[in-house]
Amino acid sequence: MSSQWDVAVIGAGHNGLTAATYLAKRGRSVVLLERRDRVGGVAASEEFSPGYRTAGVVHETATLRPWAVEELGLSQQGLVKRAEASPILIPTETGPGYVHWRDSDRAADEISQHSSVDAERYREFRSFVARLSPVLRKVFDEPLADLEALDMSDLWDLGRKAVALRLLGKGDMMELFRIVPMCVGDWLREWFEAEIVSTALAAPALAHGMVGPWSPGTNLNLLLHEALFYEEISGGPAALVSALEKAAVAAGVEIRTEAEVTAIDFEGDGVSGVVLSDGERIGARQVAASCDPKALFLELIPAHYLAAEFEREIALFRTRGIAAKIDLALSGYPVFSCRPDVQLSRVRTGTNLNHVERSFDAVKYRQMSDEPTLDLFVPTVDNPDLAPSGHHVVSILVQWVPYELEGGWNEGQKNELLERTLATLDRYASGIRDLTVGHRVLSPVDLESAYGVSGGHLLHGEHAADQLLTRPVGGCTGYTTPFQGLYLCGSGSHPGGGMTCAPGAFAARKILRDRN
Amino acid sequence: MGSSYDAVIVGAGHNGLICAAYLAKAGRKVLVLERRHVVGGAAVSEEVFPGFTFSVLSYVVSLFRPSIIRELDLPRHGLEIIPLETAFTPQRDGPGLCRWPDASESRREISRFSQKDAEIYPEFSATMTQVSRFAKNIIDSQAPDPSSLRPQELMALLRLGRSFRAGEHGSLDLQAKLFTMSAVDFLDRWFESDVLKAPMSVSGIIGTYLGVRSPGTAYVLLHHYMGEIDGAFRSWGLSKGGTGGISLACARAAEAHGATIRTEASVESILIKGGKAHGVVLENGDEIQARTVISCCDPRRTFLGLVGEESLEGDFVQRINRYKFRGSSGKVNLAVDRLPQFRERSGSAHLRGDVAIAPSIDYLERAYDEAKYGEFSRRPYINVVVPSLMDPSVAPPGKHVISCFVQYAPYHLKEGPEKWPEKREAFGDTVVDTLAEYCPGFKESILHRQVITPWDMEHEFGLSEGNIFQGELSLEQLLFQRPAAGWSRYRTPIQHLWMCGSGTHPGGGIMGASGQLAARSILESRQL
Repeated sequence: MSSQWDVAVIGAGHNGLTAATYLAKRGRSVVLLERRDRVGGVAASEEFSPGYRTAGVVHETATLRPWAVEELGLSQQGLVKRAEASPILIPTETGPGYVHWRDSDRAADEISQHSSVDAERYREFRSFVARLSPVLRKVFDEPLADLEALDMSDLWDLGRKAVALRLLGKGDMMELFRIVPMCVGDWLREWFEAEIVSTALAAPALAHGMVGPWSPGTNLNLLLHEALFYEEISGGPAALVSALEKAAVAAGVEIRTEAEVTAIDFEGDGVSGVVLSDGERIGARQVAASCDPKALFLELIPAHYLAAEFEREIALFRTRGIAAKIDLALSGYPVFSCRPDVQLSRVRTGTNLNHVERSFDAVKYRQMSDEPTLDLFVPTVDNPDLAPSGHHVVSILVQWVPYELEGGWNEGQKNELLERTLATLDRYASGIRDLTVGHRVLSPVDLESAYGVSGGHLLHGEHAADQLLTRPVGGCTGYTTPFQGLYLCGSGSHPGGGMTCAPGAFAARKILRDRN
Repeated sequence: MGSSYDAVIVGAGHNGLICAAYLAKAGRKVLVLERRHVVGGAAVSEEVFPGFTFSVLSYVVSLFRPSIIRELDLPRHGLEIIPLETAFTPQRDGPGLCRWPDASESRREISRFSQKDAEIYPEFSATMTQVSRFAKNIIDSQAPDPSSLRPQELMALLRLGRSFRAGEHGSLDLQAKLFTMSAVDFLDRWFESDVLKAPMSVSGIIGTYLGVRSPGTAYVLLHHYMGEIDGAFRSWGLSKGGTGGISLACARAAEAHGATIRTEASVESILIKGGKAHGVVLENGDEIQARTVISCCDPRRTFLGLVGEESLEGDFVQRINRYKFRGSSGKVNLAVDRLPQFRERSGSAHLRGDVAIAPSIDYLERAYDEAKYGEFSRRPYINVVVPSLMDPSVAPPGKHVISCFVQYAPYHLKEGPEKWPEKREAFGDTVVDTLAEYCPGFKESILHRQVITPWDMEHEFGLSEGNIFQGELSLEQLLFQRPAAGWSRYRTPIQHLWMCGSGTHPGGGIMGASGQLAARSILESRQL
């Protein structure tokens, strides 16, 4: 028996939900197929210890595109934005620590504690980045022309981008050219004398990257983070998923969980649907895959259907997971000795650039860091319902932790990772071990098997310059694939991973255009 | 004191001499002033120990522009380039890998480590050669100016864009990868064996403060494939009589066209009046007038030293201040009484090229990791050349000179760069100890040793922070940004003051392109 849909979407992560909803809102009949027992992918809420739930594997929600919220009607589905960006505590072992505010007025006092000139420099930094933002948004908040096969509309589009670039004025434009290939360390040191300020700013550029603060090219990621930082979602990634799910249902998407796609069905040159693990065939005129490109092309499509060169390029798409996830169930909020009275939802370790660089070094040799760099999200600060009263959930992204750990991953290695993570936290918040009543450790290999992301890479592929501008690889950069009717709509496509909903939306537009 | 010239050139490095030769050839009255007792700057040969002549710093030629050799008739002035034939990568235990001039022989050697690599090696070379045509366009012309809206500039950009897309093998995607990826990530796309990838990857880090896994290091791989296109000589070569032979040939060419060269004439400052340069003052107080002053020194020495901040706008000074040098290499020159004996390789055929102590990617990366935190590598990358094997004139009969380029030796030691003199011999010991691990009996063969640290390069040879390229060759310091945005075409904010050194487009190495392009720009400007 095969049912017939206009579109089958593979994977109900935030991009799959987004693509499906866009399509359904435009009148397509859409079935959304999810392997796991719930929607949301890495953004889903999960109970990891009895009575303690996460707000998603990832933390950052400010990258969510405001236009997507608008077009999907997410506010009507309960999505609430935070009034201002969450301050982030950078704890120190001695001294006052540093609370990083995005807003320069709010930041002034905190920065002044570390450097009197940096507060003013930070204001200039913010206004400089704000001036560059329109250009960066033109490139990374719009679909990208396929540079290998330009048509007239692409040229028009490139022309518009060039105009935006020129509108920066000569000084800023030349400065943009200069800083894009730089490493975050060098550029931030040009701005700030307080190393802790630079380190706090550098962190997002290094997330999920096989790079440290001294790696060239990381500045591009910093600029993208700053230019495409909008408003955070109250309740974290899980709140976004919940709104997306409601929007999908309201639009008429049929969501099927525990429906694992194991193959793409072909007819002639194009797709005719998908096959589930139980053998069920689902007919669809178009198929949109929000899984990562490697998972799609190397697992769901027979190898001999792919041109050898294309298959090679896909295999070479770099998806080296370098982050692990540790969830802690705590009986109280940890006391950071530098700020015993502060209870913030965001905390990051790393007090200077070399400190972070040393943490990165290990992964090059397939080792986990002795002292990993930790990105903590405490969703229970804003959403106490995730844990028993007075208790907390601490979600930690741990870097750098290699997917390809020397000797392979096992329980002993995971315990070692937990131990190193707690030891690192203990430097700043002694007593954290006594507060810990439950935990879960997900190595990059666990992340791969739990969420189906190749290499355990949560962005579906590294955000390096060559993997951003022609993402994922030549031949499928514009959401299309070598197969008629088969599309990519996940983080492996432009503009990349993170809670943006942009790839899903752009892919849906492409799918709608092709069908018309 | 009143002698007057059309052009006075500060510094007799190879670029200064080439610039002088071109200007003199065009009929201008030219004076070149050199602080040291010999010409050549970093491209210099000196008899450091009796009978042993060292290419003291720069020791191999790769991209010396054939047009310069032709136009200045350098062979007639004594230039002779001896091609390097082999590339040998020893292993501590085992025979290592030697790549030979004969492609099939190289493939046979590679196949001992990986059959797959051996098969794909020729295809890789062909692809890189194709792509390098694009890069060659860049080094043979002025840097493009993306900020200009003049039609000819836009056309130049368009042409560059077209050549970027035109490569047959070199798809846009591949070129984007080359310009942004790390050397290792790029090589990983082709090869699997470390012993092949490691020595190939190092070309991406020479003279930089980066590791082979640092993004942006892949494009330098192209340099290896550019020399061959020109067909004038193989991609790497030695100058007869040492690297100073190149400088001497350029000096003779300049003199033949009427230029004057003075050594031991240290320039104290550039004379500037009303925003215009009109000559120089020597350390001894002599003033020399000239219609044009051309600096072959690096941007920092030129602007913050010879010109002085007071004559420049604050914004420009800031740009020069943040132009990065961060020298990362040292040099150890040895006089030995016999050839080094690598394990399981007899004879000397494998030494007729360069020997890379680069046994694995991790080895190189660990060397970098130490340098990042301000220490010289305990086990460094060493590029060893035995010039006396190909050119017996540089050593007494039966004896040899060995040139060791060593990375990493970071200028910025964690204790401060001024501690280098105290560490000089320890650094030399590290290099010798490292080599001895591959060559039993090596230490006993050493007669003399000269150790040059980045500190020495700065103080003896005038290279700021010991950077061998007059500034890092990182993407943000190349093309229209070298040395500063808006000042990539050899002009400076001071009228009648020009630059012609490696701190200008297209950058360092013995290419001569900066000197040639600077001379061309100066002549075209009709200021002279």
